[in-house]
Amino acid sequence: MKEYNIVIAGVGGQGVLTAANILGWAALRAGYKVRMGEVHGMSQRFGSVVSYVRFGEEVYGSMVPEGKGDVILGFEPVEALRYINHLKEGGIAVVNTKPIVPVQVSMGQARYPSLDEIREIFEKEFRAKWIGFNAEELAIKAGHVVTTNTVLIGALTQIPEFPLDAEHVREVIKLSVPPKAVEMNMKAFDLGIEAAKEILGL
Amino acid sequence: MAKVTDMVLWDKPGEKVLLLGNQAIARGALEANIAVYAAYPGTPSSELTDTMAVVAKKAGVYMEYSTNEKVAFETALAAAWSGLRAMTAMKHVGLNVAADTFLSSVGMGVEGGFVIMVADDPSMWSSQNEQDTRVYAKFANVPVLEPTSPQEAKEMTKYAFELSEKFKHFVILRTTTRSSHARGDVVLGELPEEIKAGKRKFGKFEKDPSRFVDVPSNARRFHPLILEKIEKIREELNNCPFNWIEGDENAKVGIIAPGLAYAYVKEALHWLGIENVKVLKLGTPFPVPYGLLEKFFEGLEKVLIVEELEPVVEEQVKTWAYDRGIRIPIHGKDLVPRVYEMTTRRAVTAIAKFLGIDGPLNYEELDAKYRKALEIVPPRPPSLCPACPHRNSFYAIKKATRARGIYPSDIGCYTLGLLPPLQTVDTTVAMGGSIGIAHGLEIAQHGALTEEQRRGEKKIIVATIGDSTFYHTGLPALANAIYNRSNILIVVLDNLVTAMTGDQPNPSTGQTPHGMGKRIPIEDVAKAMGADFVAVVDPYDIKATYETIKKALEVEGVSVVVSRQVCALYRIGQMRRRGEKWPIYYVDEDACTGCKICINAYGCPAIYWDEEKKQARIEPSMCWGCGGCAQVCPFDAFKPVEEGEE
Repeated sequence: MKEYNIVIAGVGGQGVLTAANILGWAALRAGYKVRMGEVHGMSQRFGSVVSYVRFGEEVYGSMVPEGKGDVILGFEPVEALRYINHLKEGGIAVVNTKPIVPVQVSMGQARYPSLDEIREIFEKEFRAKWIGFNAEELAIKAGHVVTTNTVLIGALTQIPEFPLDAEHVREVIKLSVPPKAVEMNMKAFDLGIEAAKEILGL
Repeated sequence: MAKVTDMVLWDKPGEKVLLLGNQAIARGALEANIAVYAAYPGTPSSELTDTMAVVAKKAGVYMEYSTNEKVAFETALAAAWSGLRAMTAMKHVGLNVAADTFLSSVGMGVEGGFVIMVADDPSMWSSQNEQDTRVYAKFANVPVLEPTSPQEAKEMTKYAFELSEKFKHFVILRTTTRSSHARGDVVLGELPEEIKAGKRKFGKFEKDPSRFVDVPSNARRFHPLILEKIEKIREELNNCPFNWIEGDENAKVGIIAPGLAYAYVKEALHWLGIENVKVLKLGTPFPVPYGLLEKFFEGLEKVLIVEELEPVVEEQVKTWAYDRGIRIPIHGKDLVPRVYEMTTRRAVTAIAKFLGIDGPLNYEELDAKYRKALEIVPPRPPSLCPACPHRNSFYAIKKATRARGIYPSDIGCYTLGLLPPLQTVDTTVAMGGSIGIAHGLEIAQHGALTEEQRRGEKKIIVATIGDSTFYHTGLPALANAIYNRSNILIVVLDNLVTAMTGDQPNPSTGQTPHGMGKRIPIEDVAKAMGADFVAVVDPYDIKATYETIKKALEVEGVSVVVSRQVCALYRIGQMRRRGEKWPIYYVDEDACTGCKICINAYGCPAIYWDEEKKQARIEPSMCWGCGGCAQVCPFDAFKPVEEGEE
């Protein structure tokens, strides 16, 4: 495989870096050459964050080039939209539909768009496949809101032509989380898989 | 997965692991048998220092968090003089702080290998400027190595020590945000026995005043020596394993790709499907080895240099070509932007234009679609965390000065106080700059105080500076303000860690990575220096903070208020690790009048506006329980969730 590009977008503190790490390790263990890009420092403080996970023979740089992303894994709806320029035409968006409203919106300085508006841009303008669901709700169902990233990764493994095997990714999550959180994360992973299967009609 | 900091010390040569560029450099330093490491943290260099902090003791390496980059530089330099392998690391602007020593001592050279890791931040993701360290390297006549991948970063670190020792000269290892913070597969190499045994190494300083004292008579000798050394190094770099020529030997067009730009050039060429080009991959942007250029230029009819930021390589190549009588077109900054970071898009666009072919994507169309999408995306700048003590300090400062003060601030998380609704940061320049700027502003505006202000506050300039920044470069500025009888208030936002860069320790707590150092309370320093008013407050008590600041403003002279409360992010992180819970707050719907003071004046990110009910709400997953909201609400609408309630 020449390259596979994942863009992970969210809000600082949501576990974007953790998710990127899990996917990166899974790709490495599957024998791929891996490149990941992230930004630390000031931008991590509850601001918008993005991480890139790339693997395959022809990846060199750490950033997914604009228009080359196979999938956007959105931890938050407007954050997914903020990085849509990285998505290729006909790419896939796996999105947690639970919004986190920025302070600027509460202060009345900006407007938070409706989910339909966001989805329309993905589907109509970028001809992307939209897989949106409330991952936070499922995470709480699994045991804790912190497993939201595991739910999303579970869903990600089900998208068409995803190069990493779900069981293989599951293994890496098992090895990555603290022992007492394994069960909860496995449940979260399964709930993510189910949610994606339902949307994709699998 | 094993902890990354464990992997960095793994004695498993040949094992493939996933490392951050900065961690790969740490591993490289260990494989090179480093003895002394000293640094002040700064994004994007910090993870190198933090990794060294975790592994140092086990590896027998002396490691310290120094109070600033100059001190760190000197600490490591003296170790290298003593025959040990030593390293210092900093962000690009850190080299400005260390520049005096750097530029004055380069002629003295070293005995043990001395590697200066400098992390640049093109596009300024977490920085105040975009300076290019390669220009400094040229200025100082010090070679600079720049990796293109985490694996190369590790290998280059080892090579940097060897090169430094061979020529008894400084070596800069330059990264950028995208190489320091790139994660990639790295194959581990052999660790030296001493590192594996965790045995501290000691050196010996051989006195030689003709070398280590930079009086003019010595310095005059140094300058020609430096120039001689750098030309010898240029020669050596013809055989550097990180410089090579690849691609089509018979090509008529060539591309020079220094440092990380090589990665983007490779991707661009693959994407364009171009094979009939020759590529010069340059791991040493300064000095560019002429022998390699000679070979590369053979048969070429035009050349493009794809380089990030300043035309450092371009200028060397063009000068060389001119002197050699080569008159083929050499493109660079005419096709590649000089500002902001390199991307595949930039590389592919420049190369397509250079070759006169179409790009792989219609960027105009993409940009138009993207602009349209962004129209509905609300901004989400970084903000002070929930429960951040700085928010309370700023809130109290603004209230005590009736929002009419001038607020010079400094470098740290608290720079975010510039954003609405707090807006209590009017200037920031550089580390420690708040106090000097405050002093200058007071000199310039003292006469502009109104009668009312003279009777009441006596001063209107309130500087804010963090604990670590205070020790970094605030000290001389405070001495200056006191000595020259300034009339300012300095609020030291003491959150007991160097928070912005990842909770590193500093003298305010006295902690070090290997146990207790000595604690230096900021208030003691201020008192000893002769400040006219010194007080310590807990910003979690907003009223007391406000009253203390009021009092401090009424004193003529230099007032210092230490606003002390541990960083909320650090505290919550610790509590999470220990499995502890913290109290959270909720909004009493019967009490909230929808006045919005909590949102429009206080601005905690855990508080949001319920548009339907026209009331404030707290997002429970984001509340870290400081209770600040309950103190600012005039209607007592914020209440703690009782045990057992949801």
